[in-house]
Amino acid sequence: MSRTTVSTVTPTNMSLRHRFSLKRFFAGEGSEPGPVFLAQRRVYILPSKMGVYFAAMMLIMLLGAVNYNNSLAYVLTFLLASIFFIAILHTYRNLLHLRVDVGQIPAVFCGEVAQVPVMLDNRHNAARYAVKLQLRGQQHVNTDVVADQWQHTNVPLLTTQRGRYQVPRLTLETGFPLGLFRAWAYVQRDVYYLVYPTPDQYHHLPDESSHHSDMQGDHGHGADDFTGLRNYHAGDSLRHVHWKTVARGQGMYTKQFAGDETIELWLDWGDLPTLDIEVRLSRLTRWVMDASAAQLNYGLRLPGVCIPLGVGLTHQHHCLQALALYNINLDVDVSSL
Amino acid sequence: MNISSFQQRVKRAKAENLWLLAGLALALMPHFFSLPLLVMLPSVILLCWRLLFELHYLALPPRTVRWLLTLVGILAAWVAFGTLVGRQAGVGLLVIMLCLKLMEMNAQRDVGVVIGLGFFVVITVFLFDQSIFMGVYMLLVVGLLITALIAFSRDQSVISQWKNVQKTGVILAQAVPLTLLLFFLFPRIPGPLWSLPTDGAGAGTGLSDSMSPGNISQLSDNDSVAFRVQFDTPLPSPQKRYWRGPVFTQFDGRTWSNPYPQRFQNSLSINPQYQVSGEPSLYAITLEPHQQSWLFALDLPAILPLDSRLSVDFEIIATQPIQQLVRYSMRSFTEYQLAKNDAPDLSIYLQLPAESGMQARKLAQQLRQKVTDSATFVQTVLSYIAEQPFYYTRQPPLLLNDPVDEFLFNYRRGFCEHYASAFVFLMRAAGVPARVVTGYQGGEMNPQSDYFIVRQSDAHAWAEVWLQGEGWRRVDPTSVIPAERIESQLDLVRIMPEMVGMGESPDWLKKVGRHLHFGWDRVNHAWNQWVVNYNTERQQNFLAQLFANMGFDHIDWREMVSLLAAGIMLVMMAVAMSILRPWNRQNLDPAQVAYERFCQRLSRGGVLRQSAEGPLDFAQRVGQQHPQRARDIHTIIALYERQRYTAYPTQKNLKQLQRAVRNFTL
Repeated sequence: MSRTTVSTVTPTNMSLRHRFSLKRFFAGEGSEPGPVFLAQRRVYILPSKMGVYFAAMMLIMLLGAVNYNNSLAYVLTFLLASIFFIAILHTYRNLLHLRVDVGQIPAVFCGEVAQVPVMLDNRHNAARYAVKLQLRGQQHVNTDVVADQWQHTNVPLLTTQRGRYQVPRLTLETGFPLGLFRAWAYVQRDVYYLVYPTPDQYHHLPDESSHHSDMQGDHGHGADDFTGLRNYHAGDSLRHVHWKTVARGQGMYTKQFAGDETIELWLDWGDLPTLDIEVRLSRLTRWVMDASAAQLNYGLRLPGVCIPLGVGLTHQHHCLQALALYNINLDVDVSSL
Repeated sequence: MNISSFQQRVKRAKAENLWLLAGLALALMPHFFSLPLLVMLPSVILLCWRLLFELHYLALPPRTVRWLLTLVGILAAWVAFGTLVGRQAGVGLLVIMLCLKLMEMNAQRDVGVVIGLGFFVVITVFLFDQSIFMGVYMLLVVGLLITALIAFSRDQSVISQWKNVQKTGVILAQAVPLTLLLFFLFPRIPGPLWSLPTDGAGAGTGLSDSMSPGNISQLSDNDSVAFRVQFDTPLPSPQKRYWRGPVFTQFDGRTWSNPYPQRFQNSLSINPQYQVSGEPSLYAITLEPHQQSWLFALDLPAILPLDSRLSVDFEIIATQPIQQLVRYSMRSFTEYQLAKNDAPDLSIYLQLPAESGMQARKLAQQLRQKVTDSATFVQTVLSYIAEQPFYYTRQPPLLLNDPVDEFLFNYRRGFCEHYASAFVFLMRAAGVPARVVTGYQGGEMNPQSDYFIVRQSDAHAWAEVWLQGEGWRRVDPTSVIPAERIESQLDLVRIMPEMVGMGESPDWLKKVGRHLHFGWDRVNHAWNQWVVNYNTERQQNFLAQLFANMGFDHIDWREMVSLLAAGIMLVMMAVAMSILRPWNRQNLDPAQVAYERFCQRLSRGGVLRQSAEGPLDFAQRVGQQHPQRARDIHTIIALYERQRYTAYPTQKNLKQLQRAVRNFTL
């Protein structure tokens, strides 16, 4: 696991030059190791499109007031202008002093939408309304944070490539209460997520006989002789299901043994020589999923990687992770984000 | 449809659109008084259509129908106004277009546009009415539109509508100080910046440009204010409170008018054509809009307000009709004598209609023959009115054929116009140049304040005669009618100011009524002075005085702008303090603070928490060491755990924790 080094500059200790750099305005602060406190210098605000339109409207109103020398027209224009100014503070406050954190994301298969848990901690006795959360290039969600409470929101993140990535920059944005201004802040946490390859639709597990499948009996008890097949009954161990018939679509049968017996299945890269790399990985992912679902004792062989036989979810994760990260140079990939 | 389903419809409707429609409906309401029904009716129908759409009763019209409706709307405006430019037509068009926009308000952008146009409608209402009531009413409309804006920007948030209203209240309250600053300090540019298309003057109240005694059988009892006066010098005596207005020189047998309204004095300043005596009266008049050009002043004005001219008949004529409240400073000499050598072309003041008042002419000849000079003749005619059974009444009979003769010889009942008209007729018939002067007479002090109120019911008409060697002299024939022949008590007080107090009733209810009446007038006056008529000149004076108090002797726009900027900064900082609450930004959770404090207290008692020790383990250990305090310790830790590690910590829990820690001693 490699990690890019990120200078953790907080707004309180940044140099003057850094503070006013335009890069902060467009890109944010760079990735940070802990929860992010939205201090005053991290929240940006500018008039929204509607704000510009309103400003133009007020200018016309002022001209009208001057032209007709109409005092109440002046009053209305000035009232709207004042509301305009006040809206700056309200919109700014709607993001200010929030604590933002991004939680760990369970691994997903490529093509799925990962739900990125975003924590908004509001230790202020005023609620924050209509805060738009959006990961760069992704769909947005809206959320409210009640006064003196924290709020957990899942922000969608569509995955398009296997591998391990840093969660993209999160933009918090709000126009509340009047929509005349848009306040926003960038948060980039150093949280990474894993994307497994997409499992393909090919459900046939490799044929045991053509692989290094060892039949290991319980030596000494003489109980491991295969005696035949019978129909599957609920409650039979999945280990004893005759998968070849299942895979052929001929129905489920339970293998009957004279003694005990375990199937050992090796999922081997070398078995899929004619296919493209990504297709091979997809096929292997499917096999890992199926073998795991069947509670088989399986192992995975990739060029340069060998995961020994095992069972269980942790084993499955190790196999899928190996598939996800196969042939990916982490340093390059992560830093390019 | 039953009630509950209607409520569900309201609940399902978009809240921001309902707020918006409510705001627009209220904004359009005042236009019923200023715009033709042909424009207002379609607008209201479109508004209702949108409302029914919001409640899911109706669909919006398809595109072709919308185009058709637009065409019909423009046509309606054109038919109603005969034009599409000008103030009224422009406002009418705006109203119709806004309501048409409601038919295709779908996208986010459209809602913003419609809310913006709503504010424009509010401003157009002010073109027609700037009263205090309208100001407050429109504040309500602005509140509704702002609420629509809030409901609109809250997106899918689950804020209650009540919260939206509260937010509006907060924002408006915070905006008020800024608005006041901007209003009083923002440098006022004297308008207009470009010439405005003038409409035909609307129906004005007050004096008209002609006078037809006998055509009216009922003098209106209009109590509305004509103008208010603030005197810098002592009030002139009641007999001198003649506020001069339009003067009429030509009589056609029925109607008095002025055929030469554009005859102005050569010089813009008052030339010394007359001699004055006594101190001048200095005062400022705040004139209500009356859609005509006359400015009123005490007889006889000595200076002219800006943008006005003086006619040969000493009328002050403004260059523009008075469509808005105006305030002007005046100086008048109530004791005056026009120069003896002032001998203008007097023939027009002797004009008489050919075929009327034959009996009156005869009477004038008779009376004239008895006396030697014109001055005595004036007295004779006045005595004639006083001695003959002439009555002052507000309900005179209609004079159908020959108003002058019918009044003088048949009915002998009338009000000031009848007397002034008949008197001038008699003068002219006897060869004495005379003219009818209209205006206001009297007025009353607001006992609760320092200004003088002149109402429409104070409208009056009197006469002026030209006497050889003296010039023009004011004669008020109404004033010679004996008290017993005046029908109404109120008129008696007005016509005979020296009898003020006689008609007063001691009834306490009336006193309270009068008190409220004057109190309300005072509020209106303040509103006029400080809001409606706060113009470039008033701003200069106000700020000059303000700055003089602060020790400056001069102010120009640069100082105003700096003062404004400083003020805005201060107010914004105060508002920022109140909503950003920078002192509230501690990074620590208050529960954490309480826990640290608890640990501090324990360490003072000699129990130190190990750095790796969690709260539960720590509590366990301390509880064992101090069994007598174990219960308190466990309570505190339980509260702390709940505050820190449950999904929704509550304020109540936090308070309990803080109290428990405060009361804890080892």
